[in-house]
Amino acid sequence: MDSFDNFNSSEKAEASELQRMIAVEQQKAQFQAQVHSFTDICWDKCVESPGSKLDHRTETCLVSCVERFIDTTLTITNRFTQMVQKGAH
Amino acid sequence: MDGQGGAADPQLQQFIEVESQKQRFQQLVHQMTEVCWEKCMDKPGPKLDSRTETCLGNCVERFIDTSQFILNRLEQTQRSRGSSSESMMD
Repeated sequence: MDSFDNFNSSEKAEASELQRMIAVEQQKAQFQAQVHSFTDICWDKCVESPGSKLDHRTETCLVSCVERFIDTTLTITNRFTQMVQKGAH
Repeated sequence: MDGQGGAADPQLQQFIEVESQKQRFQQLVHQMTEVCWEKCMDKPGPKLDSRTETCLGNCVERFIDTSQFILNRLEQTQRSRGSSSESMMD
């Protein structure tokens, strides 16, 4: 495969643009995956038996759920980092 | 790179080792988040209260303890059975 350094300037521009587009698509895919993950988790926590509409209590729970899950991830990351740094692993 | 095989390049080896370690760390964090969310979070509220936070902290530590305990036990069992066949780990 050609090395980037051997490209002429228009090929370089194309390759950079392609790289940028790939990065954007990757970001979109990552975001979508995150949405799926949250939906899964928060459906379990907040929806008991599905009713005829999404009531206010459930909506509030869903908002809290996403925020608390992020808080949880941070808490665990910090605690685990602490443990690793203390040489527990 | 100049035609030097990856195996012979210590810098690349080092880089790979560091990235692998980061990945293992991330995987564990991910796994523990899932597990401890289930154990500690009842109904998500407007903030992370201290009881839940304490539970999460304990959860992480007990999870690691449990992992270690099981590993030790399995190694013990393997040794006492005197199995000369391939190791179960790695």
